Amino acid sequence: MMFQNWIFLPFFLVAYAVYLAVKRTRLKNLWILIVSYVFYGWWNPLFLLLIGYATVFDYIMAALMEAGRRKKLWLTLTVVNNLALLSFFKYGYFVTENINLLLEKMGSSYAVELSGILLPVGISFYVFKSIGYIVDYYRGNVEREKSFVRHAVFVSFFPLLLAGPIERAGNLLPQIRNTPRLTPQDIADGFSLFIVGLFKKVALADCLAVYVDKVYSVPDEYKAPALLLATFAFTWQIYFDFSGYSDMARGVGRLMGFRIMLNFNHPYLAVSIGDFWHRWHISLSTWFRDYLYIPLGGNRGGSFNTYRNLFLTFVISGLWHGAAWTFVIWGALHGLGMVLTRSIERSTIYKEKMPKLIKQILVFIFVSFAWIFFRASNWDDVCLIITRIFSSGLADPMFPLLFVFLIMSVWLYQFAYESPAQRFLNLAPVRITAVIMMIFYLAVCVGSTGQAFIYNQF
Amino acid sequence: MTNKNTEISTNSPGHPPAGLPDVPFSSNGIRLSPREAIVAVIIVVVLFVLIPKCWCLLEKFEPSADYRVPYDLSSDYWFYERCCRWAADRYETFVIGDSVVWGHYVPPDNTLSQHLNRIVGSNEFANLGVDGIHPVALAGLIKYYSRSISGKNVILCFNPLWMTSRKHDLQTEKEFHFNHPRLTPQFIPKIPCYKDTSSQKIGIILERNVHFLSWASHLQQISYDNLPPSLWSIEHPYGNIFHGAGIETSADLDTTASESGTDFPQTSWQDRGLGSQDFPWVELETSLQWRFFCEAVETLQKRNNTVFVIVGPFNEHMMKGDSIKAYEEIKKGIGTWLKNNNIPYYLPDSLPAEYYADASHPLSKGYALLAEQLCREESFPLSRTIHLEDSVAATPTIIRCLEKTAWGKTPPYKTIFR
Repeated sequence: MMFQNWIFLPFFLVAYAVYLAVKRTRLKNLWILIVSYVFYGWWNPLFLLLIGYATVFDYIMAALMEAGRRKKLWLTLTVVNNLALLSFFKYGYFVTENINLLLEKMGSSYAVELSGILLPVGISFYVFKSIGYIVDYYRGNVEREKSFVRHAVFVSFFPLLLAGPIERAGNLLPQIRNTPRLTPQDIADGFSLFIVGLFKKVALADCLAVYVDKVYSVPDEYKAPALLLATFAFTWQIYFDFSGYSDMARGVGRLMGFRIMLNFNHPYLAVSIGDFWHRWHISLSTWFRDYLYIPLGGNRGGSFNTYRNLFLTFVISGLWHGAAWTFVIWGALHGLGMVLTRSIERSTIYKEKMPKLIKQILVFIFVSFAWIFFRASNWDDVCLIITRIFSSGLADPMFPLLFVFLIMSVWLYQFAYESPAQRFLNLAPVRITAVIMMIFYLAVCVGSTGQAFIYNQF
Repeated sequence: MTNKNTEISTNSPGHPPAGLPDVPFSSNGIRLSPREAIVAVIIVVVLFVLIPKCWCLLEKFEPSADYRVPYDLSSDYWFYERCCRWAADRYETFVIGDSVVWGHYVPPDNTLSQHLNRIVGSNEFANLGVDGIHPVALAGLIKYYSRSISGKNVILCFNPLWMTSRKHDLQTEKEFHFNHPRLTPQFIPKIPCYKDTSSQKIGIILERNVHFLSWASHLQQISYDNLPPSLWSIEHPYGNIFHGAGIETSADLDTTASESGTDFPQTSWQDRGLGSQDFPWVELETSLQWRFFCEAVETLQKRNNTVFVIVGPFNEHMMKGDSIKAYEEIKKGIGTWLKNNNIPYYLPDSLPAEYYADASHPLSKGYALLAEQLCREESFPLSRTIHLEDSVAATPTIIRCLEKTAWGKTPPYKTIFR
């Protein structure tokens, strides 16, 4: 079940109606847990076994940590267990494929077989959320959640289950414990967030996906302009897709009285690669910062160690996104970009002399280039696309003007929003008109959509 | 590592309630207050109601007397509804059914309704057939899109072709593409071979009930080759997305079936090389198509329509083996049900073999003969203001027929007879 599918509407109406009725009772969390499991089990009921196991295991480990002395042991066990789940289900094929490749190179006829593994949607998100909780508890940043139901709701809260944001225990658990105070403003906020998210996903991301898929499926049939435009289109597609999901998740959460963290903040207006990661998938980048970069040593221990830690964090972040070398290289590219530009970005010349727009364009080009590795089906396609972008000559890209119009409208809106023109954009008639136009566009131009979210696969 | 360079919208009216984190609302300004949200919803609802109505004023629709729903708009149910409204203002009797009524192999002026009009000498019968509409879909079409013809006379055609196999009867478990799935029941009763996702089915149900959504579907059909504008723009990257606003007229669309061309060669099934078949008929008691045809009849009756049913005329010359006997049984069963329910009907014998284009579609001569046969049928009604002296078809047979006209027990309107 996905937010943008019609089936979500009756599901949410029923879930919400009951939720409103029980939100002040002890049944509140039990009901959220039930609807979360229905929401998740809709994909495949077997997935519930896995999330159920992860929930029970982490709950017991947290209890053992509280009761015993071997806190570090239980912490290690929990982290290893969660990472083992992730590795087996997400990286099983990747690992066996590479082992077999290695064996083949060594002349061995033996091949490891692995089949019949389903990749549970959203596993990377709830596993990271769970690890975050247990580490925070170990560090003494949060209290242990003693109620199993509340703990289970924290792991499986349905708006965040499939693609985040990877909310922190310190933010989410208190809201689960408390009785939500739902105000009319929360409902209006939830409505606004959901509409904007739906528009981003259905009207923009799915629309761009058609062109991107067409070109990236057979890149050898297209010349430089089409490949370049498809790459830029993907840059926007993935942003609209993922930030659209986050907006909808936050909107659904807000309708239920939950305040979920912001996950995207105009990433394509970033003035440096570091700035980009402050704006892109904020919940993940801060997760990696808190649970990987800082434990690795962070920026303590000199420049070399800082750069090494940064680079490692980005490589692992790349691997988190997908079980393929192209994702690893995508992460490494960003890591390398961070390492190489960190000093420049901190220089006075870059900070003060270089025009902001130039910085934004440079970052945008770098990020778009890196997305090629993210989107291409395999390494051969990556090489082909990059080669053809620089050497295949010109041809009509047949890029729809409608898409140009939509992308430019959003980009200009974002530029305006980060300028003094924001005052105009905040005027009530402008906001109301924007919402009406989005609903109208969705109703007229888009039929029912079946496109999955890109980040579901992670 | 918080971001100090960017401005995140926190334009919240006050701080969050105690105990809740003060998270930024969003990275855009599209945040409505409760009052603004209500205003937005009201405006959207008003637009949803008004736009389809205004569109009817903008989109010219001045069809000719022999008009039939354009082949390319067979799945445009908003347009069909509009045709019904148009016809309801001008006609008293509507001929409804599948391609046999629509006239798959004949030009618009040679369909059953036009031959009936010729016989009565005026435009009394409107062709509201839809190409490819099987009875399960027909029931949906009548239920959701034909309300404007309530209280009028309806000649409903049942084509037994839809019972010639379990597949035609939509009874197979294996999924396959069939016509007009948007008109069939989406959840209950279950159509075994219909396996769209629940989301798609809910979308269809909403489209049936929210007029604006079916209008949006109409817009896509007439302006964007039946595609969402985003997909259309992939095919026409430099095309004007707003060209639909230039609104031509749907009435000008080609009303011929694409495979028929425009010259309508009147080639019989034998000349086309079609052979006889042993149809694996579905039993009447278990037939989904028949069950829904009965439902369509009941829906019309509930709306005070006076219904006359024509069964076939199926090309019995094409049958061989046991299928002839099975078909006779089916006809008998259909006749019994109609009789028991006091529904006037006509169960014609097969037309001459050379008058058929295939198993069920008559050629022009076939329609002419069928129209004449119908008029001879005692239970068949004709129009209220026929000036027989002006009618080219004022034969003694017709006059006799007219004099005996009755829709069920009570004629629905006064007939001026000489």
